[in-house]
Amino acid sequence: MKESSPSWKLLIMAAFLPILVLVAIDVSLDSTFHPESFKRFGNAVLTTYIVMGLILIGNLFFYADSRHRPSAPFVGMTFALAVGLIMAWALISRDELLLEANSGLRAQMLSNVVHLLVSGAAMAVASVLAIGATFAAITGRERRILFEEE
Amino acid sequence: MNPMLEAAIWFWIPLCFVPIGIWLSVSGKSKTLGTYIGAIGLLLVMISSWTVPSSDSTAGGHLLLAIVAPTMLLAYGVHGMIFGGNVPVGRLDPTARWSGTIAVFVSIAIFCLMHWYSFTPIWRDDMVNPYWIVFLPTFLLFATSLSSASAVALATYGENRFSESLKLAGLSVLMAGIALCAMIFDGHRTTADEFRDYLWLSAADIFGTIFGISLAIGVFAVVIWSYEKSLPIPESSPPPTKEEIKHVVSIAVSNIGGEEE
Repeated sequence: MKESSPSWKLLIMAAFLPILVLVAIDVSLDSTFHPESFKRFGNAVLTTYIVMGLILIGNLFFYADSRHRPSAPFVGMTFALAVGLIMAWALISRDELLLEANSGLRAQMLSNVVHLLVSGAAMAVASVLAIGATFAAITGRERRILFEEE
Repeated sequence: MNPMLEAAIWFWIPLCFVPIGIWLSVSGKSKTLGTYIGAIGLLLVMISSWTVPSSDSTAGGHLLLAIVAPTMLLAYGVHGMIFGGNVPVGRLDPTARWSGTIAVFVSIAIFCLMHWYSFTPIWRDDMVNPYWIVFLPTFLLFATSLSSASAVALATYGENRFSESLKLAGLSVLMAGIALCAMIFDGHRTTADEFRDYLWLSAADIFGTIFGISLAIGVFAVVIWSYEKSLPIPESSPPPTKEEIKHVVSIAVSNIGGEEE
């Protein structure tokens, strides 16, 4: 159990470090920071939270047959989703904290969904490549003889 | 027709069909219907730049259509690479491994040509699809990150997997190298400055998406946990009566067969 903790830390570092290195190189080439990236981060968090919440509510509906479809988790998740929507509405329209190059609340929210569709597709294609390459590397090795028959 | 209504009919409603189709298909309630609904929804989203050209949102569907060919080639290549190796079931001919490797590299080359050559997806009025510059940096960053994590996972969790982890580290370096080239050299229709700007946004997108998914799953877990916690403890069933035990023993005896040695 003691060994698993550093491995997880190493794994998380290996995942995030290349992104941070590339962003650092980007900063060194440009010497400018991009304040819009905070807006993008906020929009990505809220949009993913809402879309993922909807998917999970769908799962509650489709997989709850064996539990006689209880309404309490359904109401709880709907409330959690409503909180996300109200936060998105407040941050986009009230203070324009998360408003990017769009005309208003509706345009920003629709743009966020399409943006998520595209970035989600990019991450899915990258996952196919990386996870596929991992399995290909594992299955590519010649079968080793574990023991010789006497 | 009202442009908003037109966009709703030809883009947003088909987009909603995709998760509904996946839910129906995965839940097993109506697998065939779900597959058809999802496929038709995805197809309508992809062709939406022709069905409702006035909507800006259709650029997303147009981009999906533009990347479908190299993505399918990539998936074919990965399938060949995995199942051409040592797998216990569904093993392909060993040559599938080589053809798969070539297909993967060709698909990566096509993505590069889409940036540096005339294959760049053109949307309308001879303009580059605005989401292409969102897709490419996100794809390169995420592939670099996942390959690097996979290399470390193989080296730390696997036994004698150093050579395999080196291959994955090589893939990570390759993807990072392509990203670096795009940061330095202008594309066919996009500049290196634009790419560098969007690299920031892609990093923000990736971190935001991971954080948002974790947050939603966390909230879901809390909701389910608090519901399960509120349920009364199930009552213990009474022990079996003598008649019930006799009945069970008789069933067991009638099912035990075979001859003694």
